[in-house]
Amino acid sequence: MLLLVLFITLVLVALSIAFRIYTVLPKQATRRTNARHKADTYSVAVFLGSGGHTTEAITLLSALDPKRYTHRTYLVSQGDTLSAQKAVDLEVKFGSTPQNYDILIIPRARQVHQPLIATPLGALQSLLACVRYITLAPLYNKKRPTFADVLILNGPGTSFVVCLAVYINKFFGLPAPVIIYVETFARVSSLSLSGKLIRPLADRFLVQWPAGTGGEKLSSKQWLV
Amino acid sequence: MHAFLSVGSTRFDTLVSSAFQERFLSRLQRKGFHSLVVQCGNSAFDLADTVEDGEKLKLTKCGIEIEYWKFKPSLEEEYRKADLVISHAGSGTILDVLRRGKAMIVIPNPTLLDNHQEELASTLQSMGYLISTTVEDLPVVLDALDMTSIKTFPSFEGARFAKIVDEALGFI
Repeated sequence: MLLLVLFITLVLVALSIAFRIYTVLPKQATRRTNARHKADTYSVAVFLGSGGHTTEAITLLSALDPKRYTHRTYLVSQGDTLSAQKAVDLEVKFGSTPQNYDILIIPRARQVHQPLIATPLGALQSLLACVRYITLAPLYNKKRPTFADVLILNGPGTSFVVCLAVYINKFFGLPAPVIIYVETFARVSSLSLSGKLIRPLADRFLVQWPAGTGGEKLSSKQWLV
Repeated sequence: MHAFLSVGSTRFDTLVSSAFQERFLSRLQRKGFHSLVVQCGNSAFDLADTVEDGEKLKLTKCGIEIEYWKFKPSLEEEYRKADLVISHAGSGTILDVLRRGKAMIVIPNPTLLDNHQEELASTLQSMGYLISTTVEDLPVVLDALDMTSIKTFPSFEGARFAKIVDEALGFI
């Protein structure tokens, strides 16, 4: 009898968690324009995934008017000094003060040439860091009570981990950024692994080549980077 | 003329090795080049030990003045100086070089885990923006190289992405 009660409770808990996740997933109808309060200025966060991912992410960010998007948060993998430098270079171009941006370091989910088997442990470390930055820190920060209004992702693996942390916010009804995923220019005919994983979670999902599967298709000359 | 050869943030052993071979250098010289900078990265090749600690070394071979080193924080200056860039087919490097209007030969690195460099390189080649080849065929490609036949890459249109973000936040 006790076991039965326990079982039913577990099922109910699982169902309500699943329902909650379902309700926070992006819906087709709201995918294009998210009803949000209009503010004068916004904050934007971006994950710099090293190498070509960083080049593309920085290019995307350079397109945003610093007068409208007044605060930028760069998430950079541990040891990726080149990406951090590119973030600083862009801020110099914007003519920013240190109040205009933050560079946050997260442990790497997987490195180039590292076997796929090494992923789970590294990913967990990355997730904990992301939860700290995206979920926990804003709760205690009176000056910046939200992590960002919009989050730009373009791969690789760690992007998905960042995305999961945003979903923890959504799950608990905390302020969460609009997620815009831009599949890398490198992917001509298929989605990357991070693209496939993030596709159901992103509010806007964009590919840069017409043959690239899924996403909002742009014509061949409509590159975003 | 001046050429820049780059392998990016990892390594590309065969490409770096071939950059020091007569087969490649003599053709480069015949095309009117007098200098070459080689960014070796972590590649294993004959002279790898000599640049292990970040040295910047020079040597002259087949009438080409070669400068070689492992890494630099920014390659922008190198791209700017070069008339021709020979590189791995990483998307970041490709965008950086083509946006500066430089002639480019790319060699997809066959040893990477998920080789999508190949499809990007061949697609951009079919559109006429660059030349894609292999380490083995590089000297042959140099022989046939006509830099004036390479099409100019479209410039960056930031407004496209800015509009998407504005829309997502409910501006438009």
